This record gives sequence, structure tokens and C-alpha cells, in this order.
Amino acid sequence: MRVDPYYVTNLVGSLDQTQASEQQLSSELSSGVRVTSLSQDPVGSGENVLLLNQIQQDDSFTTSSSLVTGQLQVADSALGSVVSQLTQAISLATSANNGTMNSSDVKSISSQISGILDEVQSLANTSYQGQYIFAGGQTSTTPFATSTATSPAVTTYSGDEGVNELQTPNGQTIQLNVPGDQIFLGAGSNSVFGALNSLIADYSSGTVDTNQAVSDTEALSTALNYVSQQRVTIDNSITQVTAASDAVTNVQTQLTTAQTNLMQASYATVSTQLSLAETQQTALEDVIAQLNSTSNDLFSKL
Amino acid sequence: MGTINSALSIMSQALDADQAALNVVANNVANANTPGYTEETPNWQENQPISIGGVSYGQGVTETGATSERDRVLESRLDQQQQLASASGSRLTALDTLQTLFTPDSGSSSSTAGDIGSDITSFFDSFSSLEATPTSNSLRQGVLTAAKALAGDISNAAASLNSQSSALDQEASGVTSQVNSLTGAIAQLNQQIQSTSPDADAGTLEDQRQEDLSQLSQLIGINQITTQNNGMEITTTSGQLLVSEGTNYQLTTGMVNGVTDFFVGNTDITSQLASGGGSLGGYLTARDKDIPSALNSLDQLAYSISTTVNAQNNSGTDYDGVTGTAANPLYIFSQPTVVAGSAASMSVVMTDPNQIAAAGAGDGTGDNSNAIAMANLNSNTSTIVNGQSPTNYYSNFVTTLGSTVSGVETENTAQNASVTQLQTQNNALSGVSLNDEASSMTTFERSYQAASQVFTMLNSIMASALNLGDQTTVS
Repeated sequence: MRVDPYYVTNLVGSLDQTQASEQQLSSELSSGVRVTSLSQDPVGSGENVLLLNQIQQDDSFTTSSSLVTGQLQVADSALGSVVSQLTQAISLATSANNGTMNSSDVKSISSQISGILDEVQSLANTSYQGQYIFAGGQTSTTPFATSTATSPAVTTYSGDEGVNELQTPNGQTIQLNVPGDQIFLGAGSNSVFGALNSLIADYSSGTVDTNQAVSDTEALSTALNYVSQQRVTIDNSITQVTAASDAVTNVQTQLTTAQTNLMQASYATVSTQLSLAETQQTALEDVIAQLNSTSNDLFSKL
Repeated sequence: MGTINSALSIMSQALDADQAALNVVANNVANANTPGYTEETPNWQENQPISIGGVSYGQGVTETGATSERDRVLESRLDQQQQLASASGSRLTALDTLQTLFTPDSGSSSSTAGDIGSDITSFFDSFSSLEATPTSNSLRQGVLTAAKALAGDISNAAASLNSQSSALDQEASGVTSQVNSLTGAIAQLNQQIQSTSPDADAGTLEDQRQEDLSQLSQLIGINQITTQNNGMEITTTSGQLLVSEGTNYQLTTGMVNGVTDFFVGNTDITSQLASGGGSLGGYLTARDKDIPSALNSLDQLAYSISTTVNAQNNSGTDYDGVTGTAANPLYIFSQPTVVAGSAASMSVVMTDPNQIAAAGAGDGTGDNSNAIAMANLNSNTSTIVNGQSPTNYYSNFVTTLGSTVSGVETENTAQNASVTQLQTQNNALSGVSLNDEASSMTTFERSYQAASQVFTMLNSIMASALNLGDQTTVS
């Protein structure tokens, strides 16, 4: 049986392979990344794309939700101020309705309520970062204006019914605004401006038509409750945004862990493999050196 | 009856034979490292004995030349494996270069820039952010920035693929001149071998022919057919004739549809060569199958994203209150007309962030319904790219590419192992073992010494016979 006289070449080939594997392991250890090319883990690489996509989406939502919370809180506090203004208007109207006031007092009540209406109107025209928040989709035009051409005056709404929603990564939608006319110009006795304008007209002449004034004051109370109900929508949205943001953060943490486990090198495994490769290489080098020594063939013994 | 003269002539023939055998040993040792050299062993032939008066007398030995220790079957098996190993080797090199364009994003802070997967996500996320505040100029600018990053990375990847294809084209063309010179050399050797040793192994000439065949099979996939009188026919693995006895047929190149095609005579054999083996087969497989497949996927992605995003933006109202129309479209990307080439030409044409139509058609500028629709183009249920969302499509593309490369790696490792094994077997049979040569040399040296001793002995016997007892006449 004859032997390949060039078998040392094969050993050198093996030496090249161990060196290559040492290099690969060292670079994994230094970069901390296990999968540096698609062929090392094709399925893992595909998974990685999906995980990173999800993580990035969650991240982006967290940022959006903090911006949106600011906007919703401004809306909420505007409506809060509106409620306190209307409460004051109601007490003024009630005091005018009890018949103990003289004409000039009644007129001054009228102008106070007129001041309250201006205040409520400017709250209804609140803007956040240059955009009107109670204008529906028409956020670049002032939504409410009062025309005193008639008596009682008429407040008109020039926005639209657009309602914006925010989508969460798990498909939930959260309402971001309530159109102004829904809040302030509700139907019949739900209309804030309608009630206020009527009351101003009622007291402007100085004489009080009690039946009319009382019914208009009741209308204003109804309108105040109505505003409070609309405010609940905004408050709910704030709660939903916070809850969604927390949930998303939790999911993001878990996904980040999963992605890290997928892509990062396990230092323990890599270090062990590296030391095995080094041992193998030293052993191979010794064998080659031994076999290559010149006193090993027959010619040198003749 | 034997005579002293005949004994002397037998001994001198023996000396010649031993001398010739030592020459063979010397030749083996000298050529120990010559590539393709097969070890030769001397042939001993006993001379025909003569018969005189019923008694037969031997006539000594002649050395009748050397035989090469060769197994033609083993050598052609080795060539076949080398074809396969070369093919998968050169294909693997090309694929490794290809897959570096799509290195997975490790997700750490030092992750790879230019990852198409994260560009897709960032682009559609910029619309999600826009949902919150559709009127924000900085968020709108963010959309355009993300669009530019996506278009830039996709078009760069396509450009790299195209330039890799040209590089492979050039490498493949470069192989033809080597192939032609080898087939020419083999044809000449065929002629020489057929004329000098049609019935037996041709020794050194055969060594050269086998060496040329081995080199040729690393370049191009071939079938070897031995013909009469020790001749040879070589065809490509698909049957196209390259060498027939003393004639060789040149492999030529020509440009067809912008790529180099290969011809023998007037027959275009490019597609057969691609599946045939050898490094040429590897280059052509990478050039004609792997790269076009990757480019097609990128084109599909670019085309779908560009056209659907453009259409969606065009169906909404922008910040200036303008709704997109067919005559004056609000396009974000340059609108591609066909799928092929859309990746390389993907670019952002919109410059004014106000033209991003976040609002639904006819709605006020604070509306965000179109921004929601744009963001949903990449939701899990989206089917805009061949029935999948862009992210899912890219994820599948990456997995498929990785599996292909991984498969070729495994193939290549297995084939290389097989080549090593066959090489070892071949070396064991045909390689020069210095130990064997040393022992042969010692043996022939000893028999030479023995023959010369006998010669000396016979010489002194002859002298005695001539002197007929008297010691002084001849010494």
C-alpha cells in the first residue's frame, strides 16, 4: 500500500482552515456581532429585518405620543378654562334674573357676559404650535367669529368636521381632536355661543324679560354640561395615549432583547471555540515541523 | 555450451540494464516536484534463451524502457471533481461580494449605515410621525430626508450589482484565451502521441497532456473521450466539440444584449457553459442567474414603493391646499415606467416639503387621513410588493439570498474535500516517493556492483585461459 508523498500539503491546508476560523472568531469577539453576513444565518437575518422594523416603529410611536400628549393637554386645559368662564357667566345671569338689579346694573351684567363671550371665543380659537386645535381639519384659519350685525349676535364656525386619529403599532386608533362646532355650537340648547349671545341680548337693554332670561340661563347650564362631556373625549384620548405608550415601551424592550439574542455573539461560546482553535493550530504546527525535519527520509540515511 | 565470451556479453548487458535503471531513478528524483509528472518504473525483459544440442542457455536481461504509473480513470475522475469545485468556488467568490451589499444591521448603535431594511422602516415611520402633527414643517422635511436615504441606498445597491456584473463579464472573457491555448496544446500533443506511441502509454507526452487537461477542467467543464490510437476527443459538458484528435476549435466571444456571450463557431453556448462547471461556469452562473435575480428583487421593491407612494400622495391634499391631478402630479419619487431598471434610477423629485399630501382629498390642511394611509402601506397586511409589505418582502429577499450563498458554501466545501481525497489517491499512485527511489537506487547499485564483480572475475578467468597456465603472456 503506497502513501501520498505530499501529505504534508494537506496538513498545511488544514492549518489554513484553522487560521481562517481563528480570524472569524476573533472578529466576532471584538465586534460582538454573531451574524456578519447573510450566509451565516439566513433565517436569522430575515427575522432580524422584521424585529428591527417593529422596534423602530415602536420607537417612533413613543416619540409621536409625547408630542400628541402635549397637544391634547392644551385642548383639555382650554376646555377647563371654558367651564370656569361659563360657571361665572351662569352666576352673573342668575343674579341678574332675581329682579333686584336696576337697569344700569343689568347693562353692566350684559357687558360682563360679553367679556366672557370674548374670552370663551378666544379659548375656542386656541392654537398649538401655530395650528388651531378646535377647527377640525382647517387648522390654518381661525374657526370662530362673532358678527354683531344682528341681535342677538351670531357666532359662526368656519372649520370643518375633520377628526384626526393616531394609529398605535398594535392597530388601535386614538382620537386626537374634537371639531369646534361639536363643542361650542351644539344643537338647540347645547350651543354655548348661542346661549351666551342670547343672554347678552337679553340684558343689553337694561330691562329683563324674566321668562326669556331664565330659559336662556338654563340653556347655558345645559351647554356647560355638554362642554364637560366633550371634554371627556379629550381626557380619554390622553389616557389611551399614555397606556398605549407604556404598552409599546414594554413590547419594545422585549423585542430589543430578542433581537440582541439573535444577532449578538455569545462571548462564552466564542471564547471557548477560539481557545480550541488555537490549541489545534499549535498542535498542527508541531506535527508539520516534526514531519518536515530533514532527517526523516531514506536518502539521508544512505 | 556456455563460453566465457557469452558470459562476458551477458554481464555487459546487465551493466547496461542496471545503468538504464539508475537513469530512470535519477529522472524520477530530478522530477519529484514537477507538476503532472508520474513516477516511472524500469521494465526488465529477460532475453530469449538459446538452445544448443537440447541444452538451453540464458541470454541475460535488457532494460526495455520505463512505464509511467498512471491510472487514467482516477485522473479523469479527479478532473471532473475539480470542474465542480472550481465552478462552485468562483460562484461563491462572486456571491460573497454580492451579499456584502446586504449585511444585516446588528441593531447596535454602531450598526451598518445604508441598510435598506431600516431605510424602508424609517421612510414609512416618517408618515406615522406625521400623523400626530400633519402641519409640522420639520416632520414633513423628515419625510423627504427618509425618502432620499431610501432611494439613495437602493440605487447604490443596484449600481454595485451592475458593476459587479460587468466585472464578472470581464473575468469570464479573460478565461477564453487560456482555454484556447490549452486546447491548442492538447491537439498538438494528440498528434504527437498518436504518431509515437499509439499502443502504449506515452510517458512524458501523456504527463503533459494530463496536466493540460487538469488545468483545462479547472477553467471550463469538459468531457474526455479516448479514441483509437491513444487519441482524445474533448467536448464541453453539453457536447460542443472543442478538440478532435489533432484539431482544436476556438472558443470566441461576442457582445449580445450588452453582455459577453461565448461561441464555438457560430453556436452560442453561453447558457450551456453556465451549467457546465469550471470557473467559467461559476462566473457565468453568478452573472446570468444570481445577480439578475437580486436585481429583479430590488427593481420590484423600488417600482412598487415608488408607484404606490406616488399614487397615494397624489390622491391627497398638500399643505398649500393643492390636490394631486394627472396633469400636475404630486410625486415624491421619480415615477418609473417599467419594473426593470427602476432600482438603479430610484430618486426623490419632490423638493418642497409642503407638497406632501398628509390630508385626504378635499380635506383641510390639518387632516391626517392620507398620512395614515401612507404609513399603512408598510403594515403587516399591506400587499403592495408582490402581495407583501415592503418590509416582509425585503426580509424574504434577504433570507433567500443568504440560503443560496450558504448552499453554495456547503457544496464547495464538500467538493473541495472530495478533490483532496482523489488528489491523495492519485499522488499515492503516481507521485515520486523519495524513500522508494532511495531503496530502488540501492538495489540497482548493488546489482551493478555484483555484475561488475562477476565481469572482473570473468576477465581474470579469460586471462588464465589465454595464458593456458603460463602466467606471463596476458594479465
